[in-house]
Amino acid sequence: MRLSSPVRVWLASLAALLLVTTAVAQAPPPRGNAGVVKADFLPKFPRYVEWPATARPGEGQPFQLCVVGTDPFGPRLDQAAASEQVDGRPVAIRRLPDAAEAGTCHVAFVHGTTVEDTTRLLGAFADRPVLTVTDGDGMPHGMIHFTTRRGRVGFLIDDAAAAARGLTISSRLLALAMGVRQRRS
Amino acid sequence: MRRPAQVPLSWSSAPLAILATVALLLLAGIGVILQSEASYRELQEQETRVQADILAASVTAALDFGDARAAQEAVDVLRVNREIRTIGVYDRSGARIAGYGRDGADPPPRLDRPFPVPASLTQASVPVTRGGERIGAVYLAADAEPLSRRLSRNLVIVLLVVMAVLVVAVLGFAQAALRRANRELLERADALAEANTELRVQIGEREKAEDQLRQAQKLQALGQLTGGIAHDFNNLLTVIQGSADMLRRPGLAEEKRARMAEAIVQSADRAAALTGQLLAFARRQPLQPEVIDVNALIEGMTDLLDRTLGERIAVRTELAVLPCAVEADRAQLESALLNIAVNARDAMPDGGTLTIRTAATDNMVGVSVSDSGSGMDEETLTRAIEPFFTTKATGKGTGLGLSQVYGFATQSGGDVRIVSAPGAGTTVTLLLPCSGGQAVRPNGDGARRIASGRTGRILLVEDNDEVGEFAAILLGELGHDVTRVRSGRKALETAASAPFDAVFSDVVMPGMSGLELAEALREAHPELPVILTTGFSDEIAEGATGGRPLILKPYRLETLAAALDEALTKETP
Repeated sequence: MRLSSPVRVWLASLAALLLVTTAVAQAPPPRGNAGVVKADFLPKFPRYVEWPATARPGEGQPFQLCVVGTDPFGPRLDQAAASEQVDGRPVAIRRLPDAAEAGTCHVAFVHGTTVEDTTRLLGAFADRPVLTVTDGDGMPHGMIHFTTRRGRVGFLIDDAAAAARGLTISSRLLALAMGVRQRRS
Repeated sequence: MRRPAQVPLSWSSAPLAILATVALLLLAGIGVILQSEASYRELQEQETRVQADILAASVTAALDFGDARAAQEAVDVLRVNREIRTIGVYDRSGARIAGYGRDGADPPPRLDRPFPVPASLTQASVPVTRGGERIGAVYLAADAEPLSRRLSRNLVIVLLVVMAVLVVAVLGFAQAALRRANRELLERADALAEANTELRVQIGEREKAEDQLRQAQKLQALGQLTGGIAHDFNNLLTVIQGSADMLRRPGLAEEKRARMAEAIVQSADRAAALTGQLLAFARRQPLQPEVIDVNALIEGMTDLLDRTLGERIAVRTELAVLPCAVEADRAQLESALLNIAVNARDAMPDGGTLTIRTAATDNMVGVSVSDSGSGMDEETLTRAIEPFFTTKATGKGTGLGLSQVYGFATQSGGDVRIVSAPGAGTTVTLLLPCSGGQAVRPNGDGARRIASGRTGRILLVEDNDEVGEFAAILLGELGHDVTRVRSGRKALETAASAPFDAVFSDVVMPGMSGLELAEALREAHPELPVILTTGFSDEIAEGATGGRPLILKPYRLETLAAALDEALTKETP
């Protein structure tokens, strides 16, 4: 059978469209979208974490959420933090290029440019009651580590590490985790 | 009969009370069930709300992080609860992000829009908050408890109520049965009372009838008695009247005159014997008891019996040695034996043997007279003692023989036994009580004292004019000087005003009786002898003459003469 050329062109375009659509539908969500989700998640964590009494912010004092290293979120994080209120305390965002000034942080999103950089930065919080959050495949893991599975943004929790720093992570949060490294009871 | 006490009021209104109790029990049961249902419903609502609260708490983080899968996981945990029909988890905008529905039910797609829900479901919707901020909601609908579970939960109450109702019903039935029984008892008591009354009436009527019968029998017996007496007396009176009429005729030959007079005397004698027997039967004859040796008396009578009974009858005596004498009226005893002997003779028209035996038993002396005659059948035997009952041809017997025997025996404290059978002869036994006294020989010459011929002034007391006149003539004939008065009182007056040698007084008189007069005279004139005379007197029959001589009417000239002679002799020794 022989088709006329316009018809052939139409069919080819249709097939191409179908292919493209299918490819788009099966691809992971755009990187920007995942970043927004992570930016939304990050200020929520303090609600589900219990700090030792000495490390908790004072009455009316904000939770310090520090972005250590490079900032992948931009203003989205500020927006998300603005709408959060944990036990009457706001969540304040501090962006620190280095861990040197991270002494007052309660939550630290550690994001180095390389694996080595991130490892170095994490090491600064090694024995402090700070909830460390990390991101990226192949990157070293903090107490909470963002991950994406089948296009869905989730996180892994290292409860053992949190417990070692005197932090208690709420079971509700643990329930949402895609994987948990259990603390030794 | 009086009815038993009325049934109490509460008793009759009891069925109503039972119905009311049953109704109350049912109402109470229903009330308890409803109350339990309501409280269960409330509990279930509370439970549902608590479940929703728990779910809300567990999906807070999921909603916070927009994690539909985690929310679904939390929802799925509740699947194990079979009572929960639908669950929905909604985000801030009201859109459902997780849910679950069982048996084809679905949770509302959006909470902010109306959604039809079956009334049987208990639903709760709880907001999910995060730090006071509403970040979503949870909806939960639970099935009401299955009917079977509800039934089983209320079964205990239902059973209790049913049992209580049963108990009350049983009580009611028992009470109703009791009432019925009570009513029946009352009815029976009434019937019994009626029957009793009826019976009493019948008994009364029967008694009346018996009284009437007895009265009739009495009248019949009286008629028989009067008839018999009238018949016998008429015969005797015919002879007396005829003879007297003949005597009145002038120019009657002396020999005929004497025969007529003799006929009158004999008839009067028989009439006297007749009344004597009547009185003997009535046990009203004045007895003159004396101590008698029965064997001697019988021996003395054998000649008389031989002559009376005739040649064809042999008289035999079998006399036992008697330990005692008897106390009785000699003449009456002789008369009784003679009466029995005459009956025996009449029972042996072709001859036979008459045996007289004596025997002593139990302080009694028995004299048996047996014959070898025809004997008596049962009916004759029963009526043998009855006065004027006789089997002999008219004119041959008075029917008073055995009556006299019976009257005499009982009056003397004894009895009569008659043993007889047709063809086996008859034995009549006369029983008389023993006496402690010594028997005396009869002198038997009383009538011969007429010869002494003593005379004196005699006060004659007699209320009957004929008898009085007759007695005055007799006494005058005997040579006495007679003053006659008609009452005891008059006699006392007369005796006080003039001297008398003796008083001859009747016993039965109006006002003062002869006995009373005798007592009064003993006070005033203790030496004055009193002779009493009577035809019949209750007092004399009891033997209370006080030792005074007694002449029985009708009396003969000789008797009167002898009595007066003795009295006058005593008075003037």
